[in-house]
Amino acid sequence: MKRELLDVCVHCGFCLPTCPTYVTTGDEAESPRGRIYLMSLAERGETPIGGAFTEHIDSCLGCLACVPACPSGVQYNLLIEAARPRIEQEAPRSLGERSFRRLVFGLFPYPRRLRVAAVFGVLYQRVGIRPTRLLSRLPARVRALESLLPPVRVRDLFARTPRATPPAGSARRRVALLTGCAQRVFFGKVNAATVRVLAAEGCEVVAPRGQGCCGALSLHSGRDDEARRFARRTIDAFGDGYDAIVVNVAGCGSTMKEYGELLSDDPAYRERAAAFAAKVRDVTELLAELPPIAPRHPVEARVAYHDACHLANAQRITAQPRQVLAAIPGVELVDVPEAQICCGSAGVYNLLQPETAEELGKRKAANLTSVKPDVIATANAGCLLQIGRFTSDGTPIVHPVELVDASIRGAAAPKGG
Amino acid sequence: MALTDLRDKLVADLGRDGVIDDPAHLRTYECDALTGYRVVPALVVLPRDAGEVATAVRACAEHGVPFVARGAGTGLSGGALPTADGVVISLQRLRRIIEVDPVNRRAVVQPGVTNLDISKAAAAYGLYYAPDPSSQQVCTIGGNVAENSGGAHCLKYGFTANHVLAVDVVLPDGTPTRLGGDAPHQAGFDLLGAFVGSEGTLGVVTAVVVRLLHTPATVRTLAADFDSTETAGAAVTAVIAAGIVPAAIEMMDNLAIQAVNEAVDAGFDPDTAAVLIIELDGPADEVEERFAEVTAVCTAATRVTIARDAEQRARFWRGRKAAFAAVGRLSPNYFVQDGVVPRTRLGEALARIAAMADEAGLRVANVFHAGDGNLHPLVLYSEAAGEHERAEALSSAIAELCVELGGSLSGEHGIGTDKACSMPRMFSTDDLETMKRLRAAFDPAGLCNPGKIFPTPRLCGERPGPYRPHPLESAGVIERL
Amino acid sequence: MKPATLAELRDAVRDTDGPLVVRGAGTAAGWAGTPLPGATEIETTGLDRLLAYNPDDMTVAVEAGMPLTRLQAELAPHGQRIALDAARTPAGATVGGLVATADSGPLRHSHGGPRDLVIGVTVVLADGTVARSGGHVIKNVAGYDLGKLFCGSFGTLGVIAEVVLRVHPLPPATRTVALPCDAVEAVDAAGRLLAARLEPVALEWCDGSLLARYEGGPSSVERRAAVTPGTPLDGAAEAKAWQRVGDVSEEQTVVRCGTRPDQLPYVAKHATRVASSVAVGVHTVAVAGDAEVERLRAEFEHVTLCRRPPGSDLPAWGRPHTAVPLMRAVKQRFDPAGRLGAGRFAPWF
Ligand SMILES: Cc1cc2nc3c(=O)[nH]c(=O)nc-3n(C[C@H](O)[C@H](O)[C@H](O)COP(=O)(O)OP(=O)(O)OC[C@H]3O[C@@H](n4cnc5c(N)ncnc54)[C@H](O)[C@@H]3O)c2cc1C
Ligand code: SF4
Ligand code: SF4
Repeated sequence: MKRELLDVCVHCGFCLPTCPTYVTTGDEAESPRGRIYLMSLAERGETPIGGAFTEHIDSCLGCLACVPACPSGVQYNLLIEAARPRIEQEAPRSLGERSFRRLVFGLFPYPRRLRVAAVFGVLYQRVGIRPTRLLSRLPARVRALESLLPPVRVRDLFARTPRATPPAGSARRRVALLTGCAQRVFFGKVNAATVRVLAAEGCEVVAPRGQGCCGALSLHSGRDDEARRFARRTIDAFGDGYDAIVVNVAGCGSTMKEYGELLSDDPAYRERAAAFAAKVRDVTELLAELPPIAPRHPVEARVAYHDACHLANAQRITAQPRQVLAAIPGVELVDVPEAQICCGSAGVYNLLQPETAEELGKRKAANLTSVKPDVIATANAGCLLQIGRFTSDGTPIVHPVELVDASIRGAAAPKGG
Repeated sequence: MALTDLRDKLVADLGRDGVIDDPAHLRTYECDALTGYRVVPALVVLPRDAGEVATAVRACAEHGVPFVARGAGTGLSGGALPTADGVVISLQRLRRIIEVDPVNRRAVVQPGVTNLDISKAAAAYGLYYAPDPSSQQVCTIGGNVAENSGGAHCLKYGFTANHVLAVDVVLPDGTPTRLGGDAPHQAGFDLLGAFVGSEGTLGVVTAVVVRLLHTPATVRTLAADFDSTETAGAAVTAVIAAGIVPAAIEMMDNLAIQAVNEAVDAGFDPDTAAVLIIELDGPADEVEERFAEVTAVCTAATRVTIARDAEQRARFWRGRKAAFAAVGRLSPNYFVQDGVVPRTRLGEALARIAAMADEAGLRVANVFHAGDGNLHPLVLYSEAAGEHERAEALSSAIAELCVELGGSLSGEHGIGTDKACSMPRMFSTDDLETMKRLRAAFDPAGLCNPGKIFPTPRLCGERPGPYRPHPLESAGVIERL
Repeated sequence: MKPATLAELRDAVRDTDGPLVVRGAGTAAGWAGTPLPGATEIETTGLDRLLAYNPDDMTVAVEAGMPLTRLQAELAPHGQRIALDAARTPAGATVGGLVATADSGPLRHSHGGPRDLVIGVTVVLADGTVARSGGHVIKNVAGYDLGKLFCGSFGTLGVIAEVVLRVHPLPPATRTVALPCDAVEAVDAAGRLLAARLEPVALEWCDGSLLARYEGGPSSVERRAAVTPGTPLDGAAEAKAWQRVGDVSEEQTVVRCGTRPDQLPYVAKHATRVASSVAVGVHTVAVAGDAEVERLRAEFEHVTLCRRPPGSDLPAWGRPHTAVPLMRAVKQRFDPAGRLGAGRFAPWF
């Protein structure tokens, strides 16, 4: 927590209304301004790490809605990334808290382990078996964990993205796709749609083998060293030779765009990390850059687009996905109330702070369904799951690229899940 | 003792989750947007409705404990500064828009609703809430009522006081009452008018009835660059003297423009000495005629950019409204000053401020409501470089200069803690004692936001600054007996 | 007593004993309650100087006894005016008197009343204290706004000695359109005119017509009048129509009351004549007798008695609204001995 970064905050409060935890609690300490104030007090040694400090830093979703809202240019992303490790290092957590964190961090970044867990998840859902004794000690969280498992078919769990897909026609770009950890397991079909759309738009798409978690989950939760380890491995796995590294999960994209800073103290990786980061593109960003060549078929649908925090706030990508969606004939994009407020998923937040996450999820779902869309589109796996959990009216929720895919293939608008 | 009792009582009545007493947690409430003044409160309460507010106030009154209402904490005069051993009553959980009544063009809202959210809720009916402080996305209507907040468009439309029909208030002894009525006609004294702008010292607002206006038919906006703040100031006078009442005339000088351009893509010329944003609104032909007159008056401008669409206009305003906070990009620390001079003395005031800044060796950025002479000089300094005291002295001297030029210590941010000691520059002892009679009528025990507005020996030393004759007095226009 | 300077006024208050009653031009002497007999009268008409006027600042300071018509005459050559058109103005009402009674006319639709125009006051309290609040600039939040507090005080809190006002430009052109309609239609029609963004400066329903007045550039005013349903009035007819609005105040029994705008029909049903600023909900209501006043008061909280026939024993105020205890507390602090205007707020205090 650097003093210069803290001092940029002028305590004006402009960030308050964008902060999901503030909006739900009305408590200053649950606001960006309050959190920065606590960090500042801690930096000066006026308050201990632990207690109120830990409570209010832990409750931060890391959605970064406060960043674009700040006229003074506070880099809250850097502040929170610096504050979290302090807690991990200095403030002992309770046993239950630690084992739960270990469970989450031991599972999500590892596709294979997750796949096994997910098979059990499928079984739970199918057979209706209730959680085991071990897990039932943490009720709200388990509810969250369990309901994060989307209704998947076992076949989907093992679907893999082909190693290389040739472009339709001559190649305009050669791109590498991040297939993601959680994403790969739960959203094989989003990856498949991404590959088809990119290929149709003249991209040669490579899915490098050996890639795992990009480190986003760890970074957003203060596990810095782990994040750096994942970052190095990702850079190695991808290698060179691409025009762009394409990501369809907002949380991963924002982290990968920060690799330069993350590894700036690592002489062996510093330059490669910066070069790598410069090539990272969200899939909607790339599509907006490439003038469409594949013909689009009409998809008649009212679409409510939800800005994933890590796309809109961390990467400042709001226009491109809308542009890409609006280019689909028949699509009507509708404005949604409280668009800037996070859905409560934010990485693994819904696992670590389930009550707030639940409240935010309900609020977001209500706002989205209030405009009576045919389809909800959002570009992040976490948001997809979270919103799906709280929309009871069965409105399908898809990744924007799935709508583009449907349009190019002339298929009906995809059903959710 | 009283405090422990009070805490237990409040926890019993408001629930554990409605009372904050953890020392680190309390510190996040120790200041508002004027961070130079900090006092840690003994307790913070977060009531959920008007009933809980009344419960909290009554409990404080019964225990003889001072309290202060807090909205979004964006106040710039230390108005929501807590009292040590006192209670902060935050209204941030009273955020419901109770009713929007399009037929009678009004809305009833809880005090924690933000200024902008009222307009958003009214937009469905083509209506909006006119006063628009730059902080409108975050400041609360309760805070606006307390400060009688203004904004860029108040030049044409008036201030908070002109747009509030009634307020529900919990009086400092815990009694709920209503001031004002269904229309701008009250039987008896205008207690509502006296309450608006009383800086949280007369009671806690629990609901506000505001007037809504129809959004104007046409809006035309231009940004005119000038080669000096003086010529820009002269253009302001010329526009007004031509009998035009623009919706807004705002000025920013070069330093402010630099900050704004960095914060948002507002597109102001980074090299110009000053820019005026002039906006006209109303029926289309009326606006067109007047807009032509304005453009003609701006002959001294080096460049005039007319906003071609709503998007470009919104960009001008985004820039203007982000200006204060954006100055954080230019300087690690700064003071926001708020004083008023008669419009005709704008140029003179700016020149003298520049000279005073030079003398102090500090930079001053100016961004302000030029149309009503409401200056906001921002004194930039570095705490680390030990410039704090010099900057503070310069900032106070600027406020007092405004009084000397026949103006006021504050146009919209309030006196609060910050300028209480300067009040004797503007008002005599008799003036202040008379105002205190009003306070005593509302709050005989003096528990409601004590220490604000009026100079106290504790804050100002034994003898507050001397009264200096008002310039009109010196000129023989008014007499002081 | 008729003091001619602030000092004389202060001395008159300080050096006399017993009850006092303040009088301006006497145009509203019958408003509110009747002062108890035996009070010494202080007349403010000797305090009638213009104190400061700088047209470019668009503010003016006057002594409270200056008649508003005279002030308007001072401003007019500079293309300016006070945007206040209370019916009693032509009868000679003083600026201070208009403030003390919070009186206003049809321009309240766009400019509000004295509370919205006064930016500073000097008052003399019952103990001779001279106090100022506000100042000479239109934007000013330093200290409590005593100017507003004294609006509607009817001389019971102190004597208003000086008033600083904001001024507005005189409009280049004006035009009035009359639309015959009943009270229910008037509420609707007013809403439609506003929704059409025609921005009338006054919207008054009187004697079965909705009068919409436009001010501004000549062509804009004509265009707006042309698209307004009803008949545009020529100069003489226009003056006559607005004269009738003012006349309502001259009827035998008159009250001013504030309601939600859509309540106009409920007000009108008690009235013999009404002049209603229909979009803001402030009505000047002439009624047939005391009983009708009581009925209005039973329905509406904020009713001020303006005129009653000689000999009527109608109480000046009805059932106290929720802020009356607070009014009493303020009165107690400003005039603990109860010297000023005793009887004006009977039976409230
Ligand atoms: C960047 C920036 C720009 C600004 N621009 C403007 C501007 O253009 N115009 C302007 O006028 N101001 C401006 N301000 C100042 C500030 O936003 C206003 O004074 C605003 O009205 C304060 O509202 P708040 O909810 O933050 O109140 P707070 O700061 O929380 O409180 C302000 C005062 O109101 C009292 N109060 C709050 N709520 C209540 C209640 N419910 N009942 C009784 N008292 C209450 C408090 O006790 C305190 O005295 C700006 C501030 C910032 C930081
Ligand atoms: S908007 Fe920026 S400067 Fe203002 S309080 Fe929030 S973080 Fe601080
Ligand atoms: S990152 Fe999101 S939750 Fe955290 S302080 Fe910023 S806005 Fe609030």
